[in-house]
Amino acid sequence: MVASVPRRLTTGRAALLVGLGVLVAGCAKNAPQDTFQPEGENARKIHDLQWPVFAIAGIVLVIVSAAVLWCVFRYRDRGQPIPKQTHGRPALEIGLTILPALILIGVAIPTVGTLMALSKTSDTECFVNVTGQQWWWEMDYPAQDGCGGIETPIVTSGQMVVPVGTNVLVRGTSRDVIHSFWIPRLNGKRDMVPGRVQTLRIEADRPGIFAGQCTEFCGLSHANMRMEVVALDAADFETWKANQLAAYEAPEEGTVAAEGEQTFIAQCSRCHQVDGLEDADGAPVIARPELYVYSEAAPNLTHLMTRNTFAGATWDLVVEGCRDRVWQATPEEFGAIYLEGVTADCLNEVDLREWIRNAPEKKPMYAEATELGPTDGKTRGMPYLALSEDQIDQVIAYLLERH
Amino acid sequence: MLPTGSKLLIGAAVAATVAAIVYGLTQEGSLGTVGLIFAAAALAFLAGVVVYIREADVSAMDTAALSESAAAAAPPGDSIWPAVSAVGGVLLVVGLVTYSPIFIFGLVALLAATVDWMVQAYSERASADARFNAAVRERIAHPLEFPILAAVGVAVLVYSFSRIMLFLSKTTGPAVFGVLAALLLVVGFIIAFMPSIRSGVVAGIAVIAGLGLVAGGAAAALDGEREMHPHETTSALSAEGQCSSTDETEADEHASQNVAAKANIAAEITLGKDGTLTAHNLGLVGDQESVSVVRANSTNVRFRNESDEDRRLVLDLGTRAETDETGETIPDREVPNQLCTQLVEDGGSQLLTFSIPTPSRYADAPYRFVVPGVDGAEVPVNVS
Repeated sequence: MVASVPRRLTTGRAALLVGLGVLVAGCAKNAPQDTFQPEGENARKIHDLQWPVFAIAGIVLVIVSAAVLWCVFRYRDRGQPIPKQTHGRPALEIGLTILPALILIGVAIPTVGTLMALSKTSDTECFVNVTGQQWWWEMDYPAQDGCGGIETPIVTSGQMVVPVGTNVLVRGTSRDVIHSFWIPRLNGKRDMVPGRVQTLRIEADRPGIFAGQCTEFCGLSHANMRMEVVALDAADFETWKANQLAAYEAPEEGTVAAEGEQTFIAQCSRCHQVDGLEDADGAPVIARPELYVYSEAAPNLTHLMTRNTFAGATWDLVVEGCRDRVWQATPEEFGAIYLEGVTADCLNEVDLREWIRNAPEKKPMYAEATELGPTDGKTRGMPYLALSEDQIDQVIAYLLERH
Repeated sequence: MLPTGSKLLIGAAVAATVAAIVYGLTQEGSLGTVGLIFAAAALAFLAGVVVYIREADVSAMDTAALSESAAAAAPPGDSIWPAVSAVGGVLLVVGLVTYSPIFIFGLVALLAATVDWMVQAYSERASADARFNAAVRERIAHPLEFPILAAVGVAVLVYSFSRIMLFLSKTTGPAVFGVLAALLLVVGFIIAFMPSIRSGVVAGIAVIAGLGLVAGGAAAALDGEREMHPHETTSALSAEGQCSSTDETEADEHASQNVAAKANIAAEITLGKDGTLTAHNLGLVGDQESVSVVRANSTNVRFRNESDEDRRLVLDLGTRAETDETGETIPDREVPNQLCTQLVEDGGSQLLTFSIPTPSRYADAPYRFVVPGVDGAEVPVNVS
């Protein structure tokens, strides 16, 4: 009995420490996917709704818990005789039915209002098609009057660039399984379902990067299926658009990058599109991922180095110092820094090299030949290409010029 | 002198030998000859055994054996399981070199024979009373035999029934089965109103009907199913490059005019009364000049016909190489590469589902929606 007291104390302290640890874990300062830090009108609507709902739910929790605890302690068994048994207190029962109903009605009215506001599409100023597939997101900007006018479609992946203070409508779908698009600081989640087109409003208050994550389990690399929304002010967005639509610039002859162009055509262009790329006969090189990939799509790499992530936004294309420079930039300087793209000094060559060398080893995917029976030989994700180190050097040099 | 019983076997062996020679000389193929030679050999072997043991007539030489030999012990009861085992074994072997269903039949026969033979052998050792032993066998075997036999019987009847239905033509089938149903009803009434009818008669009628059904099913199965004409769909029009037709085709029969209205869509294309074609992309405000489509993704577009005539929506993807019936490309021959809805009546709507792998910028010709028979009705399709 004597020994049990310190053990109980030890257990209590351990429980207290664990509880404090859990509590402290929720206080991260750098939490890019924190839904309690809204950075746009839509996320703010959710935020403005969830706080009062949490508050009401918290008050109810406290009252009910206090009532239960009071009953437990007040009427605990102390050897007293069993009290007189009564059946029913109509006034109390009716009151305790009406009160929760009123609370729920009080919660439902702003909830429905928020839902309707978040599904509104009549004030769209720009729309972007977002398509999920295992395990990356494709964003394409169709020709439209919105977004300041786009005459030729822009196709990118991993990072969706939008103008600040603009109601952007995401028209989302999926090419294979159900995914879910969620940028916590800008809006709630939206499932992207094959064969269906779902809409989601996106609006950012300030220039910056807003991280997101696929939130519907979608297979082996679900955890590695990330995405970001990059908000630029109007002038910077126009610069970004112009750059995305700029004509293809072939590498200078005799350079490693020029060799990389040929390696890219031979090894990568089956699936990856680089707009403007031509073969030796001057014919456009057109990717045919539908022949090799289960989702029938692979990221467009025309301007890979204008975005600073790759492989489903799983890895940074820039080294840590350069990454911090972009992520921690003030709203005023963010656009200029982001538009610099990936320079040779900032390139995260380690991860990119490992990825090109053996992608399935770096990110879990169904790309082994022995696993392709159910998909008729098509891979889910990038396969192992057996490139030599020289070929990898060439491809990296070539990609580094894809600004 | 040859024992009496052996004469039959010797005669059968000789007959099988002669049959093997005749069959081998007159018929093509060696399977029959080989079978008959094996039969002759087996019969000759059995005849030899019977002659050697003198038909087990031990009493002729040893009178003590009448009470002491194994043959004097009570013989086991009649059993079909040795024969079933033999048939099962043969089917098993034949099935291995011919068809897998025969192998499965053989396996089932062997399993059934093994189980039931064991039960029978066990029950025959229960006591010296044959009736008691038979009761023991029934108590063990019937809970297994009855459900299996019932299931097999029902399966055979249903399968026979289905073969007959698939054999008869679409018009004959209802007539035949209408008459059979009426006959069944009449027989049922007769039996119901004649309580004195003997159960043997009823059982006989049922057995004859069942055998007739099985025989009919077997005959129908051997003759094969009737030729069934698959209902043509708009994919046939697409394959033949006939989407531009304004005429009603078989693919337009039984067209659903409203199911599509419930589906999720990327865009809606409307043909107005004035012959204009307008597009509305989901989520965008008002009408647009074109439809925006994601590359290589299954996309649903709804066509709403508000004109006064039956019209179909055609997705024109340029041209493609013509293929023959086997799917092989015919050199230097091209047909329109199109997908289309069925003819949609005034006020109706239809869904068109498609996937375009190549972006518009790399297409040989612009992608567009058109309505055959309506000049100028066109909406561009932009594939990113």
